[in-house]
Amino acid sequence: MNSRAMLLKRLQVCDFVLTEVGLFLDTHPNDKEALAYYHKYLALKQETQTEFTRRFGTVSRYEPKNSDTWDWVDNPWPWDNSEG
Amino acid sequence: MWSYEKRLEYPVDIKNPNPALAKVIISQLGGPHGELGASMRYLHQRYSMPYGEVRGTLTDVGTEELAHMEIISAILYQLTKGMSIKEIKDSGFDTYFVDHTAGIYPQFASGTPFSAETFASTGDVIADLSEDLAAEQKARLSYDNILRMVDDPEVRDPIRFLREREIVHFQRFGEALSLVNEKLDSKNFYAFNPAFDCQKPRRRR
Repeated sequence: MNSRAMLLKRLQVCDFVLTEVGLFLDTHPNDKEALAYYHKYLALKQETQTEFTRRFGTVSRYEPKNSDTWDWVDNPWPWDNSEG
Repeated sequence: MWSYEKRLEYPVDIKNPNPALAKVIISQLGGPHGELGASMRYLHQRYSMPYGEVRGTLTDVGTEELAHMEIISAILYQLTKGMSIKEIKDSGFDTYFVDHTAGIYPQFASGTPFSAETFASTGDVIADLSEDLAAEQKARLSYDNILRMVDDPEVRDPIRFLREREIVHFQRFGEALSLVNEKLDSKNFYAFNPAFDCQKPRRRR
């Protein structure tokens, strides 16, 4: 796995924790432990997303890599395999 | 409203085309137990639900199903990219290819196009949540059937992820239903439909 794939995987893991804990919180909105876990991973996801964006380009329209380009449209898109 | 995050929920990296697999996996895109139908079911049912926890669950599971739809589409795209005419003919993918080439179109494995007939949105809290439990099991069984027929580990990996998620969603809907039962009259859960019978009368002009 190259470094882009490795960092992307870390970002996907963070996202996934938020998805999973979020679903639990939907039916347990007052669970303090789950809330703390969610917020911990929210911070981690933000950090990971910022690093990924800086090194490999925009992955969120609300966090563009810079304001001189619209690299949002650049390949690869998520459904491309590692051979591009 | 929705945003799009430019990545898959789970990685898909398939190096070998295989239209024979695409022919069956496509059912989890547009088929009766597929991700598109699941998403539409939950996103449509959420409006009439009276409880925030259930609205949240349906919104979030419905949104995750769109991400799953994307994973299935990525699998199909990678299974059909660069396929040869011989592979197309030998696999029986020719009947899809003639109208869609290597494009992605939501349909059952049998060729029936995606339809809202694959789900219900009844506006009844218990009926809707009960349907959702069944829907997750139906999706799980379809993934089980796909796994029986697929050997390629690069294809099996994301399919196993999707199958696991169906089981988790089943748990979540079970909890939502328990939560709802707690809020209802324990002597008769069907005494009224909280989605319709508890509303404040609306002023008519």
